[in-house]
Amino acid sequence: MATTRKTRGESLLLRYLVLGGWALVCLLPILWFLSVGFRPRTEVITPKPIYWPTFSLDAWHLLMSDWPIALYLRNSVIAVAGSVIIDLVLAIPAAFALARYDFRGREDIGFYILSTRMMAPAIVAVPIFFLFKTLGLLDSVWALMLIYAAINLSLVTWIIRSYMLDIPKELEDAARTDGAGDLTILREIIVPACLPGIITAAVIAAIFAINEFLFTLLIASTSDAYTMSVALANFTGGSDGIIYNAIALVSFIAFVPILILVILIQKHLSRGLTMGAVKG
Amino acid sequence: MSRPDCSWATAKPYRSDPMGPDLSQVPAQGVAQAAPDRRGTLPRRRSPLLRKAFPYLLLAPAMVYLLAITLYPGLFAIYQSLFVVKFLTWTWTGFGNYSAILQDREFWAALGNTALIGAISLSLQTAIALALAYFAYRDPLIRGWRIVFLMPMLFMPSAVAFIWKLAFNDGRVISDLLGRLGLIEGNLDWLGSIWLARLTLIVADVWQWTPFLFIIFVAALQGQDQEIEEAARLDGASWPAIFWNVSLPMMRPVIVVAVTLRGIDITTMFTNVYVMTQGSPGGATETMSYFIYRQGFRMFNFGYASAASVLMLILTVVIAQTVVKRAFHSGKQ
Repeated sequence: MATTRKTRGESLLLRYLVLGGWALVCLLPILWFLSVGFRPRTEVITPKPIYWPTFSLDAWHLLMSDWPIALYLRNSVIAVAGSVIIDLVLAIPAAFALARYDFRGREDIGFYILSTRMMAPAIVAVPIFFLFKTLGLLDSVWALMLIYAAINLSLVTWIIRSYMLDIPKELEDAARTDGAGDLTILREIIVPACLPGIITAAVIAAIFAINEFLFTLLIASTSDAYTMSVALANFTGGSDGIIYNAIALVSFIAFVPILILVILIQKHLSRGLTMGAVKG
Repeated sequence: MSRPDCSWATAKPYRSDPMGPDLSQVPAQGVAQAAPDRRGTLPRRRSPLLRKAFPYLLLAPAMVYLLAITLYPGLFAIYQSLFVVKFLTWTWTGFGNYSAILQDREFWAALGNTALIGAISLSLQTAIALALAYFAYRDPLIRGWRIVFLMPMLFMPSAVAFIWKLAFNDGRVISDLLGRLGLIEGNLDWLGSIWLARLTLIVADVWQWTPFLFIIFVAALQGQDQEIEEAARLDGASWPAIFWNVSLPMMRPVIVVAVTLRGIDITTMFTNVYVMTQGSPGGATETMSYFIYRQGFRMFNFGYASAASVLMLILTVVIAQTVVKRAFHSGKQ
């Protein structure tokens, strides 16, 4: 028994060393980047890095005066929220069919939906670019909305399907005995019962949409359609070089809402991220 | 899963169900939506044909949408890859683009880089995430602070790329820290050497995405049967032995799914390359995604870029049909 206690004691010390160390690895770059956001430009790129900078709101003033930050934020919100709504409208019936009906080709259709998630954005980048060019949708928020919806549709469908599979069949059967139609059952029973799954799917889809980079880079070319993610990369040109303190500030403006959303769905996060394959 | 159509013929109407007074309006709307084209017909009288088609009708909108953004671009890419595209003129070349690509050193380099950087990055983050998850999952203190471990993942990828670009290259922070530890002298030119440049991409990816695997592994460990582990412990097994022989085999399906998902994302790595290295030095950090982007949108060789896309698509389909299909089937068990 003595040996057991010894190994457990050792592992406890080791545990906090390892976890504490990694917590620092996670936090320090973020805190340092936060400090970059609140320092004057002259202290960002220096021969020797400055770890204790003077506090300054330079970047904030620059954002307020030069960069249409409100516009980028608005673009992000419209494109992301729109895409999530499209996803939910398309995915909820699809997930219902995959979870609750037995029909020919179900497995193949389900896997086809899943497999669209595997397609590298770069593969479809050129055709999508030409498609939106033909449709006259280049450089518009609507194009971004459509493309974000497409990227996340498989994810949303699979997450919701996974939660629908968990709903006991009896609940549905009872309503059916009372003569409820399929769509009524979907609306009155299935959707309320898998609401946590729907919210999880929506949040994860929103995060992926906010982060999307390649398509946004190709489709957006002016501030009409720039979102936060790509605006960052495009704030680098010009004679000023890369304005890191402003970039840092913008990235924290985008970080806070994502952090709040994730805290709200924390319990469901692992299940959502694996498209329902892991029950967290 | 049985067919849920056995009760269409039941006579008792739904709205007489005493589920609450506020429901009296709602089912009526539901019925109207169910059969908008046949007013007054209750859905339970729908024809057998409609009943059979019903799941397909539910799936149709999503399928049409997905086909539009996968099948159409796929066919377009195949078609365009048979032409040399210079601005608005398309010149037929047959398989010219393909034979050129297969002899293109840069294409093979991009493929190799994607595999190499991806493999190193993926194994590192899997190992780190497993170790962290094993230490963390039973600890109530850590559970409360779990969000700290997730933070890198919640940062916009383009912002993360800038963090590391500043830390490695422009701000020289990493060089300074390593210098203070006495490991190096002066500043390292992170873009000057093939492996240093690749290392910056790997560090950025590992930092941002280890949390993804971590949270999944923690959930998997928490979900498994604690009694088996406890039994092993009572038998006097050491914790590394328990981890290796008990926990790890039990969470294998989860590891497969999570690593597969992460692997897919790594092979499409683009943002970090675009912001941090632009493929330098000499293409040593150019990934497949960046190769296609550069050929298409920097050099305007759209036909060539499409041919590369088609080759990458074929590779993706092969991997999807083998590895991923199996991973998700095992994950469901």
